[in-house]
Amino acid sequence: MAKCQKWSRMFAVAILLILTASGGSAADKTLNAYSIWPENWARPMFEEFEKATGIKVNFVRFSSGEALARVIAEKNNPQVDVLFGGPVETFSAGIKEGVFEPYKPPAFKVLEPRFKDPQGYWVGIADDPLVFMTNKKFLSENKLSAPASWNDLLDPAYKGMLQMADARTSGTAVTRIFSILEVFGRDEAKALNYMKKLRANVQVYTKSGGGGTIPVGLGQAGGGIFFIVDALKTQQEGYDVVVSFPKEGIGTATEAIALIKGAKNPDTAKKMIDWASSPAMQSLFAKYKINFPPAHPEVQIEPGLAAVMKGAKIFPIDSAWAGDNRKRMVDLWVQKVLE
Amino acid sequence: MSGNAATASLSAKHAGKLRDPALFLSVAVIWVFLAVFILFPLVKILILTFEKDGQPSLAALLEILSRKSHYTAFWNSLLLGGLVGVAGTVLGFFFAFTAVRANLPKRWTAFLDLAIILPLISPPFTTAIAMIFSFGPRGLITYELLGMRGFNAYGLHTTLFAETVTYFPIAYLTLKAILAGIDPNVEDMAFSLGASRWRVFRTVTLPLTVPGLANSFLLLFAASLADFATPLILAGNSFPVLPTDAYLQITGLFDLKGGAVLSFVLLVPAFVVFVLQRFWVSRKTYVTITGKSGAQTEIKSVSPVVSRLLLAICILLSLLIVYFYVLLFYASIVMALGANHNLTLKHYRVVFTEGVKAIQDTLLIAGVGMFLGGVYGVVVGYLVGKKRFVSRAAMEVVSMVNYSLPGTIVGIAYLIAFNSPPLVITGTAAIIIAAYVFRYGATGIRTTVAILQQIDPSIEEASHSLGAGTVTTFRRITIPLILPGLFAGLGVVFIRSMTAISATIFLVSIHWTLITVRILEKMTELELGVAAAFSVLVVAVVLAGTSGIGLTLRRFRQPGAPSMSSILGG
Repeated sequence: MAKCQKWSRMFAVAILLILTASGGSAADKTLNAYSIWPENWARPMFEEFEKATGIKVNFVRFSSGEALARVIAEKNNPQVDVLFGGPVETFSAGIKEGVFEPYKPPAFKVLEPRFKDPQGYWVGIADDPLVFMTNKKFLSENKLSAPASWNDLLDPAYKGMLQMADARTSGTAVTRIFSILEVFGRDEAKALNYMKKLRANVQVYTKSGGGGTIPVGLGQAGGGIFFIVDALKTQQEGYDVVVSFPKEGIGTATEAIALIKGAKNPDTAKKMIDWASSPAMQSLFAKYKINFPPAHPEVQIEPGLAAVMKGAKIFPIDSAWAGDNRKRMVDLWVQKVLE
Repeated sequence: MSGNAATASLSAKHAGKLRDPALFLSVAVIWVFLAVFILFPLVKILILTFEKDGQPSLAALLEILSRKSHYTAFWNSLLLGGLVGVAGTVLGFFFAFTAVRANLPKRWTAFLDLAIILPLISPPFTTAIAMIFSFGPRGLITYELLGMRGFNAYGLHTTLFAETVTYFPIAYLTLKAILAGIDPNVEDMAFSLGASRWRVFRTVTLPLTVPGLANSFLLLFAASLADFATPLILAGNSFPVLPTDAYLQITGLFDLKGGAVLSFVLLVPAFVVFVLQRFWVSRKTYVTITGKSGAQTEIKSVSPVVSRLLLAICILLSLLIVYFYVLLFYASIVMALGANHNLTLKHYRVVFTEGVKAIQDTLLIAGVGMFLGGVYGVVVGYLVGKKRFVSRAAMEVVSMVNYSLPGTIVGIAYLIAFNSPPLVITGTAAIIIAAYVFRYGATGIRTTVAILQQIDPSIEEASHSLGAGTVTTFRRITIPLILPGLFAGLGVVFIRSMTAISATIFLVSIHWTLITVRILEKMTELELGVAAAFSVLVVAVVLAGTSGIGLTLRRFRQPGAPSMSSILGG
């Protein structure tokens, strides 16, 4: 019986611990964030932020669709203070759901219009163009040159060998869909028809935007459409891949940050937005080999990155239009392309 | 194994009389828990499915079903589940028959047991990772070894293979128990009547295992129906399945209603399986053990040649499983499998720095969950198996519901039910623990009931007539006897807390995360080395935990006490 009591006391203590641990994290020196950037980029940024300000960042990483979905679901009881990173159409969609609080950091005045929401619901922290990435060995075995047009990807040689992201979870995929729409002059029927044809060559739609990069690097897949950061990371890790751009042009998405409405730590959240939208963070990209072109005009683009993008036709995605049409296009993609 | 006629008739006599306030109180408390954590979420998911603007409506269901992709996904899920059921049962029978009837040396049985236990205690996508590395267009086996070009690693074939390898151990454990229960003397009689080995197998052994085969098929079918992770990685773009679609609908689009409707569609076959298993298969168990049988006879079911052949095939398959795990371990200690094979500890460094929070959270949740789950299992098992009260049978059925449903449904139901008042616990550890306790605590209930059925009431009567009071008898006699049930519950809740993902992926939050969810995230971020290192850690922790619990169980060895490995089956 004594043993029994000891056990029950331990229970009580453990349960108490859990209740207090989940409830009482109200310290003003912390910040809670959902990061859409992968952990290996977000973590060094957050550690630098802590070094600079003494504010500790608790964060979890989710694909953009998942992160947005959670923020919307938690609207009445927000669990985080900022949504960090991720393509801008995610943020535009969030404005419609009323989950963000406008905030204009000091850098707001100097940012180009495409790197900020006019009301300040989000601000840009980086630029991120899409690219084609192909496996060099796959190209030579199939006597292909690196794809230089959207139509090149329809070549039967790629049958079942392309990997790209699933629009239900990934912002990369949504940016890709809006790129294709722009290429076809926003003619939805033509764009969907192209995507349907492209599907025959797709091996798998991955949950995460960069999900196909290593398979392409290893030659498990022949190629795919990725953000430049993911593609160049694959190259830096030593995989033999080629980065190319289509002559018709390809979209670029602003990577953004936003303050959550009803955030429990609004002051630390604003400090984070100030920091992330300024050169203080964006000049660190090169140090950590994060291949984003910066959004802040005073930060120099890293020369190697500039060389890759030289001569490419890159157009920004119209964020307001994309945000308005995001849900509808994803639905259409699921219905017309996947079925 | 479940409720028998004798207790039922006895219960009729006492039903409805609340002579025992302690009993009444504990029954009431348990019902409150069952109502909140099993019935309430289930009702919520049904309401969301069949309601539109406050009116009952079939609109949402019909809309989902009219979508061709969901329709295809539904049939694909049934096809996949059916094939996994058949393939896994065949494989499981093969292994079980070899283990029980082929007169194997002990060390070979031990090797088979080890190889078979690995998939049971692993995070659900370990086989999938290994498959991609082995069978892709540049896979270690397809390309490097066999020189095949352009082998497609995505689709029904690889998903089926991965799920079969992952779940056939359930069939093995189910069938091994049944085959071992068939007295060799029965086969002996047929032999002495002049039947050939093949004839004995066909007309005696096989028919006796038919209920077991059916049960194992249903278990595997249900396991496949719940698995969203393997298809997420392996199904590719041409083989959508329902659990994965429901997962994407919820996590990607946060379409709770769509997710609820999809999981309702999933609920239908799951419920059919549950009913079949409970009211049909469990009634058809043959009993061939008739008191003390004669001297143990030598097993003659297979000839030495066939025995060798069976063993060889089993060992080959076991080696394949072991190969998968060696590959997984290798992937965790090289820079990048397939590209750079220099040895490194960097993935483990990530696990023990970035991953520390997930590890702590998981261990704490598993630790608290296993004790609560163990106690819950024993209490409900004791009430159901030993006491007579109104609603006893209902309690037994309801307590099994969360266990029988696919994890995705349970997760989605919890998310819907506890995201808004009256009880808001999303984002806390409590919701994850509750999901584990009320899902996997069911094993403890079943074990306790099974043990109680085998305890002769005369043991307790003897204690009474020697002058011991009810409390003393309970403490000195009953508790020690049902301890194995407690450990069974503890063990299963612990293992599943470390390895399950299907229910809890919907319940993790910024404050509480789990290793399995980190593994899935790491895989989608393509940190495969880190994902592999996390998986190795999980396998090691679970193996250590299981052996600990297994050793404790052995100290309480007694008739009816199950071994650790048999608890893991269905």
